[in-house]
Amino acid sequence: MRGRPFWPYLLIAPTVAGGAFLLLYPVAKAAVISLQHFRMGELIKGGAAFIGFGNYAELLSGDEFWAVLLRTVWWTAVNVVLIVVLSTAVALLLVRLRRGMRLALMSALALAWATPIIAATTVFQWLFQSELGVVNWLLVTLGLDSFRGYTWFADGDATFAVLVVLVVWQSVPFAALTLYAGLTTIPAELYESARIDGGTGWQIFWQVTLPMLRTLFALIVSLEVIWVAKCFPQIWVLSQGGPGDATTTLPVYAFKIARVLHRYDLGSAVAMLTVLILAVALISNLRRMVGS
Amino acid sequence: MKHRLTAAVAALALAAAACGSDAGTGAAPESSGPAKLTVWIMDGSVTQDLLKTFETGYEAARPEVDLDIQIQAWDGIGERVTAALASTDAPDVIEVGNTQVAQYAASGGVTDLTAKVADLRGEDWLPGLAQPGNIDGKQYGIPWYAANRVVVYHKDLFAKADVQPPKTRDEWLEITKKLNQGGNQGIYLTGQTWYALAGFIWDEGGDLAVQEGGRWKGALDTPQALAGMEFYQRLQALGKGPKDADEANPPQHEVFAQGEVAQIIAVPGIAARVLEVEPDLKDKIGNFPIPGKTPDKPGSVFTGGSDLIVPVASQHQEEAYEVVKALAGEEFQTDLAKAMSFVPNRTSLAGVLSGDEGTAAMATGAANGRATPNTPNWAAVEATSVIKQYMTAVLTGGDPATEARKTSESITATLNSGS
Amino acid sequence: MRRLALNAVALAVLVVTIFPVYWMYLTAFKPTRDIQAATPTFWPSSPTLDHFVTAVNAPGFWTFWRNSLLVTVAAVLLALVVAMAAAFAATRMRWRGRGAFVVMVFAAQMAPWEALLVPVFIIARDTGLLDSLAMLTGVYFMITLPFTIVTLRGFLAAIPPELEEAAQVDGCSRLVAFRRVTFPLLAPGLMATSLFGFITAWNEFAFVNVLIIKDQDKRTLPVWLSSFRDVFGTDWGATMAAAGLFALPVLLLFLFLQRRVGTGMTAGAVKG
Repeated sequence: MRGRPFWPYLLIAPTVAGGAFLLLYPVAKAAVISLQHFRMGELIKGGAAFIGFGNYAELLSGDEFWAVLLRTVWWTAVNVVLIVVLSTAVALLLVRLRRGMRLALMSALALAWATPIIAATTVFQWLFQSELGVVNWLLVTLGLDSFRGYTWFADGDATFAVLVVLVVWQSVPFAALTLYAGLTTIPAELYESARIDGGTGWQIFWQVTLPMLRTLFALIVSLEVIWVAKCFPQIWVLSQGGPGDATTTLPVYAFKIARVLHRYDLGSAVAMLTVLILAVALISNLRRMVGS
Repeated sequence: MKHRLTAAVAALALAAAACGSDAGTGAAPESSGPAKLTVWIMDGSVTQDLLKTFETGYEAARPEVDLDIQIQAWDGIGERVTAALASTDAPDVIEVGNTQVAQYAASGGVTDLTAKVADLRGEDWLPGLAQPGNIDGKQYGIPWYAANRVVVYHKDLFAKADVQPPKTRDEWLEITKKLNQGGNQGIYLTGQTWYALAGFIWDEGGDLAVQEGGRWKGALDTPQALAGMEFYQRLQALGKGPKDADEANPPQHEVFAQGEVAQIIAVPGIAARVLEVEPDLKDKIGNFPIPGKTPDKPGSVFTGGSDLIVPVASQHQEEAYEVVKALAGEEFQTDLAKAMSFVPNRTSLAGVLSGDEGTAAMATGAANGRATPNTPNWAAVEATSVIKQYMTAVLTGGDPATEARKTSESITATLNSGS
Repeated sequence: MRRLALNAVALAVLVVTIFPVYWMYLTAFKPTRDIQAATPTFWPSSPTLDHFVTAVNAPGFWTFWRNSLLVTVAAVLLALVVAMAAAFAATRMRWRGRGAFVVMVFAAQMAPWEALLVPVFIIARDTGLLDSLAMLTGVYFMITLPFTIVTLRGFLAAIPPELEEAAQVDGCSRLVAFRRVTFPLLAPGLMATSLFGFITAWNEFAFVNVLIIKDQDKRTLPVWLSSFRDVFGTDWGATMAAAGLFALPVLLLFLFLQRRVGTGMTAGAVKG
């Protein structure tokens, strides 16, 4: 079979065909839109005029885009670091637990993961309500009286923090369960021999676990970077990017422009730039992909 | 069931008659059946019963039409309507909010019904509904119904504090202070109830945004608007409304139903919701118009409501217009106003509201009803919540003048973004 | 002692993980009057099923349910089969363009789906695919496919090809060797990816919102989930009850997969 070169092409044909119609074609269309004057009127009546790189020029020459970009980088970094550290800890915890407890914790993780974003976001909104929220109630009960009626969503940093907690809470289950699945594929013999050699817990983690799961870690990090950077509904429901611009990341910015102002042209330009930036940010990972 | 049978019989009879008259030509497309008209009504606008009655009656009178009334959920409605207008086979009649209608009308996807205004007796339409539906002198949106806010109060708490509904703003602050005692909240006013703020600003002679030489300009930083915000702040402090939330989250009728809130600002129809949560409050809920600066004139209020539009992409323009005419007509308007405590679309129909305290208070206020700035981009200002964020900033200690200037600049930018 | 500490940590993680979910279900069982009570209650004093009744009796519930299941399962299965083929070609075969293909698939992860809403809508409109469940399935398939390929490829790469080769030496064809030897080892990978695909497609709202316009009977459950809101605000009891029901299939799927994967999947098996 190895001698016949058409097999691999046959195997990837459905992927390529699907991708061409449902992904490349829309992306190409979005790229064209980003070069046009395309607003609500053009969407409805057609006849968009070609305006070249005007939309990009408008974006790149303003301060707002760069401020949003910087904020997105910060947002992504904070979330991804927390997600990876916490999910690794949870995965390592999972393999050490007895069956009953493990199943309970895994079910809890699955439950958190399965909770619809809109429901989870709403619950978090309640938990952090200023007058009736459980978090303030808990903090005051614990003696932190300054949190009586504290308005989490009036302050940019506090809103940002609440959103980080929400997104980390939603993202850890997937990463933890995947890492756990990866951990179970590491042969027990490797650990045993490392332990016989006198390795401590940390040493075993750095010298056995991490190298074995290197590709999985790389994969999870890049996926989380992509997902967190593109994360949108949570932010929109909780803060609409506010207060001020405190939580306006690129996707929120693109949404404001495209679907609130109906400037689909400028929104498409933001999306194109977002993809470009993500691609550059993950280029080392891409290289590794090709190499392997 | 009975209605449906009657309708079916009527339909058969009419169909037979139609066939008879067409027999000579023999070209009648009998197989095509009645034209199916899709009508989008927002969730909560009209009760199911009223819609059912309307549908049955309408189909009985016009057997050539099959009405499909679809209730639309609020989430994602903006995109859904945009998609519908852009599709090739759109719904035939759509209900849209009066602050949203301008942007759709300006897009070119809505049928121009200027020629039908006289037929619809549009001479005394409520301006708060008719103006937003009118772009460059052409009428795209047909006024459907309106509702404005009043003060909904807890009669027992008023009696206990020995106070009467106020006539002026100063009195209002005074009694609210008295009510705000012993574990009770004088008023539950969330920090982001922006249409209440709009009313206070209008009372002071200010506005949310003004048009100057063809350009729109955010006007929250004018002395009048700042005075309106100051009053809001004083009122808001007389209760425990969260400063960083709006009245829908948590829904204020659920808070009012706890029985410890003396007043909320809402449309009178909210009483039904309160009773769903707490039936014991029956007969204990009162209404009075939002007080103005002087006793002779109630406070200005934001006229909320809906318009009806016919998409250009509708395949049944004539039939669609007939449905609009029926929905905007006197008979249905009367039923609607009575069932939902709404203000009918024409001032001459306001009489149907007499006899109900809540709607009477609303009608008093409606005389001073105002609409949001009449530009297609206003919907975007609402959607980005900048006014709400401004209010939260001021209420949590921000400098009003600075915050107002920042927000006004943002509004200016949004309103002048081309389409 | 060590076991105790471990269990204590696990319990703490469990509580933090489960609390918001618990709050969701708790709210669903509380009478509306208690939902916004001044002091939070952590146990329903007078539990009620009213909100579940409201949720289930909402118009179109069963139709939406059927559509969601149909679209989600079809999209996930299609993605799994297509991805398996692609992942196999990308890990077990040598061919020109392989590197480029892998990069393309990885890059496809970054697809800005929010921004593709308008182009996809235009394509659907111009090809007469509005109000079509097939189009919706296609979109969900495409949203989940790149991730499915990337993950399956990762899991496949972790399984030594020697195992298959050994089986082939034993006289199995390549396909049989893959099915008998590699496929069972892929179980955890399949679990993670199908769960991911299921959750993504099951929750999707933006596309169904604009791709299904006039034919309301073709809408899916997320539409139902967001339907308990009107001008006075959201009926949170009903929404939380709906969300609780909405999350159930995912949980059931997880527990089912967990059992299937739990048996026959041990670390030793990898070593063969």
